[in-house]
Amino acid sequence: MKRFLQSVATVLWEKWVEFKFEWGRITAAAVVGPLLYMAALGWGFGASGTGGRPYIDFLVPAILALTTMNASYTAISQSLSIQRIFEHSFDQLVISPTPIPAFLCGQMLAGALRGLYGGALILLLSIPFGASMHITPAFFLVMLLNGLAFAAFGALAALLARTHSDVTRVSSFTIMPMTFLCNTFFPLERVPAAVKTLVRILPLTHASGALRAIAYGEAPAFADLAILALYALAFLLAADLVMEKKQNL
Amino acid sequence: MVEIIHLTKRYPDGKAPAVDDVSLTIGTGEFFGLLGPNGAGKTTLISVLSTLLLPTAGEVRIDGERLTRGRADVKRKLALVTQHNSLRGNMTPEEILELQGRLYYMDRRRIRERSDELLAFCGLAEHRGRIVRQISGGMKRKLMICRALLTQPEVLILDEPTVGLDPASRRQIWDLLRTLNREGMTILLTTHYIEEAEQLCGRVAMIESGRIARLAPPRELICALGAFAIDEFDGEHTKSTFFQTREEALRYAEGLSREFAIRSTTLEDVFLSEVGRGLGAQA
Repeated sequence: MKRFLQSVATVLWEKWVEFKFEWGRITAAAVVGPLLYMAALGWGFGASGTGGRPYIDFLVPAILALTTMNASYTAISQSLSIQRIFEHSFDQLVISPTPIPAFLCGQMLAGALRGLYGGALILLLSIPFGASMHITPAFFLVMLLNGLAFAAFGALAALLARTHSDVTRVSSFTIMPMTFLCNTFFPLERVPAAVKTLVRILPLTHASGALRAIAYGEAPAFADLAILALYALAFLLAADLVMEKKQNL
Repeated sequence: MVEIIHLTKRYPDGKAPAVDDVSLTIGTGEFFGLLGPNGAGKTTLISVLSTLLLPTAGEVRIDGERLTRGRADVKRKLALVTQHNSLRGNMTPEEILELQGRLYYMDRRRIRERSDELLAFCGLAEHRGRIVRQISGGMKRKLMICRALLTQPEVLILDEPTVGLDPASRRQIWDLLRTLNREGMTILLTTHYIEEAEQLCGRVAMIESGRIARLAPPRELICALGAFAIDEFDGEHTKSTFFQTREEALRYAEGLSREFAIRSTTLEDVFLSEVGRGLGAQA
């Protein structure tokens, strides 16, 4: 167990070194997109109502969900695929005695922390937009769970990718549709029934739902938290299986 | 001891196996060389030894224990210097060594001590705080060697370790490898510099098309071919003929009318006569 925790700490240290080197770019990348969404949609529709509340109150929790999703996914998928495909520095990890599950847990945690960092910045930047939210520890727990799930997904994508473009492609086919459809910019009720079933099983829907519930002063649904945790676990196990069994790492 | 047992590696898109039923035992403390033309399967074999590639068939054992990606205790004994630059571009040499030490659970104080020693030995001490992307190719090679040596592995795997180094640095690395080998480290080296293998290795295997063509100590391979060589130049090509003794070579030379040179046979001659056919076929 001590070795496992040491390995997780090593990965966190490595990601911290990476963050120190690129914090300006990382910060800009984490906030520019969400800030534009808040500006365009918040100024455009902020005062209009959604479910009896101002639209900006509806919007900001979802922006936080997609910020943590993007920041966590990108932090791991980009870095890991560069290390594996371009730099080949990943080779040293593979040959080292660091256990694969510990390495992946470290990556997940580092990705989730990067997501929390982006989320916290957006939370601060949302203040001038006038959103009214209840911020509790559970709010950060949901962001963390969301980050863990998408960081693990990022690791899986980076391990399966043959080229760096594959990672971008995965993002285009998964992250991008979720950004627009998963209970983010409009309520789930407006989604056609056939699509709703699909949207309901996607993780961002649950992250947006849980964050919105907490922001409205309600308790998050246990199912939302459980589903996010299950996604994190499933992606972790899949990434572990790939790292153990893939013929050519 | 490293045992490679009936190892085969076939790529999904490849017709012939890159490594074809190779069996090989490298004794503890041995300095072993792997030679072969481009595409012969050397790097594939090294990649299987480092678990980056999984074998299609066969296995690798280190001190009797099967090597797999999940066997941390077995992998602890290995270190790898890859053929291509495999350093994190956005880290400093100091951070790269610290990461390596942490991956192998080394004590922080020990990491600092070993880093200081190795960086000083390789002339990188002044550059320890520079971003790797900004240092020269030769420095990067040296840093990769420092990284592999940091953890004092029992088995050191080097894939073309001195490519891109100037002659003085290459000799310096040779001396270091000799010293480490004398201290008991098992070393597996692939190289395109045949002279390097001849100087350093106790035994060499010549690989061609994924199979071992010859395996013996360099001296034995040279003697089998003939200790003396005569090179004849016909204006376009050089033809080498080999003889067991100088006298035999001189007798042969007496009958020659064109320009020739008599010299000692080298491992390169053996290489060219054994697997050089492959090179010719490729060309």
